[in-house]
Amino acid sequence: MPVDLPRAEPRTRTRTDAATEERTTLETEGPWCTVVWNDPVNLMSYVVFVFRRYFGYSRVVAEQLMMQVHDEGRAIVSRGSREKAETDVQAMHSFGLQSTIEKAGEG
Amino acid sequence: MAHAFRRRPDGSLACRLDGEEKAIIAQVAQETADLIRGDLGIDQGGDALRRAAESEDPLRRLEAEFAGREARTPSDSAVRRLFPAASEDPALAEEYRRLGQRDLADAKLADLRRVMRILDAAGGGHSEVVLDEDEAMSMLRALNDVRIVLADRLGLQRDGDFDTVRMLQQIGERVEGAESSGDDEHVGSDIVIAVYELLSWLQESLLRALD
Repeated sequence: MPVDLPRAEPRTRTRTDAATEERTTLETEGPWCTVVWNDPVNLMSYVVFVFRRYFGYSRVVAEQLMMQVHDEGRAIVSRGSREKAETDVQAMHSFGLQSTIEKAGEG
Repeated sequence: MAHAFRRRPDGSLACRLDGEEKAIIAQVAQETADLIRGDLGIDQGGDALRRAAESEDPLRRLEAEFAGREARTPSDSAVRRLFPAASEDPALAEEYRRLGQRDLADAKLADLRRVMRILDAAGGGHSEVVLDEDEAMSMLRALNDVRIVLADRLGLQRDGDFDTVRMLQQIGERVEGAESSGDDEHVGSDIVIAVYELLSWLQESLLRALD
């Protein structure tokens, strides 16, 4: 799943630098999660369609996530920076899905 | 009688609906839009506010920004389902409402308006309703939002609740058939159940055609 990396000139840094920076980002910023909750209205086929269309997930992944929402009541559908999770939650709401932002490990 | 959506050779999506079905869908779309506008306090003043936000005058822009921040938590239970809290932390949820609720409402209202326009353009009698890909997305979202409102009115809380409602209705019909009593409340919820089923079927058929 996508994790936002700090933007910098890639040529000026070694591989070790990049790895260290990535670790720092993960420790200080998140990652954040987008959670989708079960509800009695949204059709299973619609939820799968939204996951495929919006996140670009394969049918298998989208169906697994949909079943997880259905069976367990909720599923983490994306991870990343706080900004990404905010965008994703708003998008889920635009499709009428019940969705919240969460800091990883709090759920 | 409605015919399911299918993909046409030119890529567009088409279904057939009779005049009554189109009128019912347009009506519930209108009612959903009115409900959203009423509950969130979005009225004709919204356009003036928007113009002020794009104004050259910095004071007017500031004024518009503050007015736009009044993103109230919906009081209607159906509107709360359409605009759910984006976080379990109330302070964070409040902040997200302030930042995003108006845009979300505008998008939902635009979808509903678009669907009403499409149905109007299809005419009053039995006719074909043709959508391009973008219109199909608006139709999917709008049908879903209307279903969310109807589900709330039917008191659907958990998976399988609609089946229960449907079963109770059938039992009611049998009992009423014996006693021939027709109270208004029952007739009202019978219509909501029928419309909910029509919209669910139409949405499912559109999803199948898009797949």
